[in-house]
Amino acid sequence: MTDRRIWALLPLLCLLLPMLVAAQGGPGQAPAAPAPARPTVVLEGREIAVPVTLAGNGPMFGLTPLAEALGGTLSTDASGESVTLKVADKEVVIGQGNAIITVGDAIVSLSQPPVQGEGGLQVPLDFLRKSFGDLLGYSFDWRPETQRLTIARRGTRELAVSLDVVHLQGMTTIVLTFPEEPRYKINRQGTTIQVQMLADRLTPPPPKEIQDPLVQGATIDPGQIRLQLAEGAQAESYVLEKPFRLVFDVHKTASVETPSSPSAPAARPGGIHTIVIDPGHGGVEVGAIGPSGIQEKELTLQLARELEARLAQRLPVRVVLTRTEDALVPLDMRPAIANQNKADLFVSIHLNSSLGSGAYGTETYFLSPQATDTRASSSAAAENRTAAAGTAATSDAANPAGADDTQDLQLILWDLAQTHHLAESQRLANMIQGELNEMLQLKDRGVKQAPFRVLMGATMPAVLVELGFISNPDEEKKLKDPAYRGQLVDALARAIARYKALVENQPEPAATPGASPQTTPPAGTPAPGQTPAAKPPGTPGKPAKVGRPA
Amino acid sequence: MSRRAASFVLGFALALLVGGGLWWWLAGRPQAGRGRGAAGAAAQPAQKVTFQLFFPADGGTLKPEPRELQVSDSPRDRMRKILDALLVGPKAAGLARPLPEGVMVGGVLLGKDGTAYVDLRWPGHEEPPPGGSTEEIQRVYSVVDSLTLNVPEAQRVVLLWNGVQRDTFSGHLDLSRPLVPDRTRAGS
Repeated sequence: MTDRRIWALLPLLCLLLPMLVAAQGGPGQAPAAPAPARPTVVLEGREIAVPVTLAGNGPMFGLTPLAEALGGTLSTDASGESVTLKVADKEVVIGQGNAIITVGDAIVSLSQPPVQGEGGLQVPLDFLRKSFGDLLGYSFDWRPETQRLTIARRGTRELAVSLDVVHLQGMTTIVLTFPEEPRYKINRQGTTIQVQMLADRLTPPPPKEIQDPLVQGATIDPGQIRLQLAEGAQAESYVLEKPFRLVFDVHKTASVETPSSPSAPAARPGGIHTIVIDPGHGGVEVGAIGPSGIQEKELTLQLARELEARLAQRLPVRVVLTRTEDALVPLDMRPAIANQNKADLFVSIHLNSSLGSGAYGTETYFLSPQATDTRASSSAAAENRTAAAGTAATSDAANPAGADDTQDLQLILWDLAQTHHLAESQRLANMIQGELNEMLQLKDRGVKQAPFRVLMGATMPAVLVELGFISNPDEEKKLKDPAYRGQLVDALARAIARYKALVENQPEPAATPGASPQTTPPAGTPAPGQTPAAKPPGTPGKPAKVGRPA
Repeated sequence: MSRRAASFVLGFALALLVGGGLWWWLAGRPQAGRGRGAAGAAAQPAQKVTFQLFFPADGGTLKPEPRELQVSDSPRDRMRKILDALLVGPKAAGLARPLPEGVMVGGVLLGKDGTAYVDLRWPGHEEPPPGGSTEEIQRVYSVVDSLTLNVPEAQRVVLLWNGVQRDTFSGHLDLSRPLVPDRTRAGS
């Protein structure tokens, strides 16, 4: 009888046992799996209590206890949207569930997003390396087999630093070059800038006398670098990679160069001798594609070659093309070619396309210098270039010229360079648009401004001309016609000839009736009357429209 | 004995079946108090708000289209919903999708300084779509204007493609710096 009761109880036990296991275990937990080794976090040989979650993409660590142990402060913004970790003098902004964070001005992509978990916000290993690791000099060694994270201070490094000071175009650039990225903090007091080493020691270079209008001196000790700026000067800092460089752009506080500076030069002394024509796109960068399949890069090269020939016939100028075949020329290399050739004009030729239908006509652009934090964005771009290193997608961006990395510095300076020439760029754009309007009776889409990358580095008047929409079947058909392209080229050559005559104070070639330079200044540019090369009086005809892209 | 054994086996099998089913049901059920959701489960109440989304329009312009979206007070939630709606595309004729089908939002972050970081991802496509300058302007400013003009906390936008900030998408606009809104680009 007892046996029968036991037999009867057995199924009941079988029923209850899984329920008990399920009630104990969390969702998705394997009930019968052997308990793995408990994850541990060890800081300098001492175990610290940090919640660790083993996710599919790698371990996640509780941020709060780590910040307390390593030296960082956490705060949550008012909306609860983002958490800011302050480490050294930098802020790391974290959005929950978002794989992008910012470290100072740099954007960093994480392997997996921080999430709320046991003990608050949990972060992946690469977050720890990018924040505490890079900023405070800790190493993070995770061993999956033992499930142990070992945190240790990296040893003090001896870093040889070199100092360069360059003065160009009213701005001084100080470049501190390191063999690898140091761990540092920047302190500012008045016109003194201190670069304080957090965990490294510097090997100073031989003393160098600095004779610069904006920088009075620089001293380098093992623990710090002190830069003394001249009275009334201020500096913005950013970093460049490979090798790591900490750069300070120093300029006068009271005369920060703006596009509206009335002292902007009208043109280079001596007139227009060299013109660089830039056929847009090329190689794998096909540009816009027409309904028939024709690619923008083919037509821009044809148009550029035809314009080169037309200018050579018409004007005593040297014409340089940024590309003469179907090849990829990195965007920043194009104005670089113009600068290297000491060009007096830069004309980038493009064909347009649009989303939606009904767009047609020509338009001419000059640079729109936007009121943004150029230095911060440069720093962010540098960070991303590093993050993207090794990926084919960004290899051009990482080293656009395919040349010496010091070109990065020049590119930054070129960003400012075009702002000196906005008034003349606008004048040239107006003349080109006016000729296109009147010679071809095309729809006038006007003279516009946009932050086009290809115009930024040019140290001369620079425009980008859109000679029609190849996304429009009618215009695509016309653009394939050599006679029509000849008309476009004639209009461009005529405008350039008129601009050359204007700058050189020579009798202007007869303008196509109605092709007048526009005199209304767009936002951020000086009125044409403020520059030596003034609008020619009595030029007839209707002006080109001026505006931003609509 | 044989009948007893057969009853036992049957009862045991039945118990296993029922017990297993119960375990499966319990383990799969969400459990209150066992941690928060991955997104932090914002507790703010959702509300319907009408936003103006800027879509590429005929003639190479941008045109606003009103769109009622269920959003919380969180700026990031608003940005995310606006972007998702933009990517779905317009409702009105004469407007176009700003980005190709399949492009998705990889992440949105709003910095304290008002810079919004938007990561656009297009699985299977390393490069952004090619195009002319107007097309690129329409794509980029559709996002920039829709975010900055609807979410006051977002003052400027950094666009990333597949997690990486690029110099440009299609060879024209400089995307290495934050872009500010430009109302003149919209046809309104």
